[in-house]
Amino acid sequence: MLDISQLRCLEALLDTIIPPDDYAGAVEAGVGDYLLRQLDGGDLAELLPTYQRWLSNLEAEARADVGKSFAELNEAERVSLLKRVEKGEVATDWSLEPAPFFRQVVEHCAEGYYSDPDNGGNRNGIGWQMIGYGARG
Amino acid sequence: MTDYDAIVVGSGAGGGVAAAVLAEAGKSVLLLERGRSLSFEAVGRDHLRNQRMPVYGHNAGPDIEGNPRTLDPASFPIPVGRELGNLRLLRPHEPGYQNNAACVGSGTRVYAGQAWRFMPKDFRMASEYGVPEGSSLADWPISYDDLAPYYEKVEWEIGICGDHRSMTHLPAYEKPYPMPALPLPHKSGVHKAGLDALGWHAMRVPRLINSVPYNERPACIHCQQCVGFACPVEAKNGSHNTTVPRALKSGFCTLRTEVMARRLACSEGGRVTGVSFVDADSQELTCSADVVVLSCGAVETARLLLNSATSREPTGIGNAGDQVGRHLQGHYYSGAVGLFPDVMWDGVGPGCSIATSQFNHGNDGIIGGGFLGDEDIVTPVTLWKRHYPPDAPRWGLEAKRYMRQNFRRISDVIGPTQEIPSPDARVSINPAVKDRYGLPVAHLSGSAHQETVRAAAFMHERAKEWLWASGAVKVWGQAPPRYLSGGQHQAGTCRMGEDPASSVVDPFCRVHSQDNLFIADGSPHVTNGGFNPVETIMALAWRTAEHIVRDW
Repeated sequence: MLDISQLRCLEALLDTIIPPDDYAGAVEAGVGDYLLRQLDGGDLAELLPTYQRWLSNLEAEARADVGKSFAELNEAERVSLLKRVEKGEVATDWSLEPAPFFRQVVEHCAEGYYSDPDNGGNRNGIGWQMIGYGARG
Repeated sequence: MTDYDAIVVGSGAGGGVAAAVLAEAGKSVLLLERGRSLSFEAVGRDHLRNQRMPVYGHNAGPDIEGNPRTLDPASFPIPVGRELGNLRLLRPHEPGYQNNAACVGSGTRVYAGQAWRFMPKDFRMASEYGVPEGSSLADWPISYDDLAPYYEKVEWEIGICGDHRSMTHLPAYEKPYPMPALPLPHKSGVHKAGLDALGWHAMRVPRLINSVPYNERPACIHCQQCVGFACPVEAKNGSHNTTVPRALKSGFCTLRTEVMARRLACSEGGRVTGVSFVDADSQELTCSADVVVLSCGAVETARLLLNSATSREPTGIGNAGDQVGRHLQGHYYSGAVGLFPDVMWDGVGPGCSIATSQFNHGNDGIIGGGFLGDEDIVTPVTLWKRHYPPDAPRWGLEAKRYMRQNFRRISDVIGPTQEIPSPDARVSINPAVKDRYGLPVAHLSGSAHQETVRAAAFMHERAKEWLWASGAVKVWGQAPPRYLSGGQHQAGTCRMGEDPASSVVDPFCRVHSQDNLFIADGSPHVTNGGFNPVETIMALAWRTAEHIVRDW
């Protein structure tokens, strides 16, 4: 699976995509659990190498940009970096197109946060409480 | 002596009715179903794997592995599935596969149960509009009046709620619906006011759902996960809790699940004598019967006929006129999404309660049209994937706040546009690719007719107009592109007609070339109306089965 530095990078990434505020951020809501379950032999297992490569590129970009690991950046720095990534405007030599896979990661993050808790994310229905989707029955 | 009086293949909307009518008439029936009987728990509440939102799988069959189809890449606007030579290889939950559920009840186990009668004009589309170039548009050989008594039977015996007084687009009903319409959720009331402001006809959506206790089952509890899922209290009326239990209760019906029909069994002279099938242990069996009824859905019924070629009918049973598998159609879905200033959500499911038939016919320069209605409650992840504004932020605090502020304010209207059939929209078989049973898979090719695309674009504009009139402050969405349609409303692949050269079944849904082979699903539909087809499938199956009994 992911090594410890990749895991830290992924958590920082997820919490930038859905940050904590009055309601839990992605990681506290279990989106990491959702994603790791999907990558570890789940429906997204084929994407694990792409995740690893993309995260390594992101890490290299952060170091080239600010001289720190992505996980050590403050929120404003992470947002600023990801806005460049989203537009494909990267300073380092990426081994894959930065933007399309970022869109996929955003989609996976939303799946974890907004789908049913049995998928591993949306812990205690926090995503549903936040938006006011009351499901019963 | 045959093993059974009749074999019915498939336990969905049509097969359930056929089995019940035949068994209650005292005919011994073998009902074959390739899927399993699914409990509420087995269907589950997975928001990423259900019939409505099959992102990574689905919840009512068929199994993801071992049931592939192939697709001409030109039939779909984006690459789907996996590359296989110059084709696409699809798994059942992937776009373009045209899946219908495979379980006891088929799609009725997890449907929304919208229960519409087609309109009289829907049965005579060619006479009303003429036949556009490249289309196989034709009239049905039967009329609304032929089906009306059977629509009424379905409404009363299977159980439909609604308000017949609001169905002013149809000839007067002989009897009202047996149950009142479901209560109007708050957002449906807002959309009703929009229709009133526009002067468009408004009707309550009739549904195969108990609005009050009926047929010894309880009323709807208005949950928020209806379409795509099973009902927690069995208030949704499908084959699995109405017609199939009726057939079994008669004592004359045997249900076998997890068996796949391989081919029709035939005599040396090419007459249908029964069905050969494979069970879950890969045992091959053949049962004989006096009558065989195919209810596998428009894709699988065509595939079974084509996979049953004999020396008498070397291109497939019923296929002398090269019609089996052609004219595949379903419904284009046209709609739009709106953001409203006030909260629309009140959580009262299922949700789709108000609709307009203002544009089913009589649209200048358009062939046909369709109805538009409001929508069942959408799950949060479905809203995110399908109904989220394209220009809204998708990540960061802004995106999180957008969902928080607007999930309860977003509401859409949508509906099925009647398709103008094309002979090139087609199911054939691909002998190079086999399923888990070793049978050649269905191959899908062709696209919807341009007139369908035009009608859908017209309906998309009407949907936007309605949302503005309902008070939306922002409206978005797109008209559907050209692609091969079918899906859960699949129809047309064994069209009904008087002439064996241009149709597959006669006006009683008997395959022209056989005395004892009938079809009871959407396949005989010459056209598919601008409405969900299930009540028509059930009514037509009822008429066919009564005819079989009467002529026995």
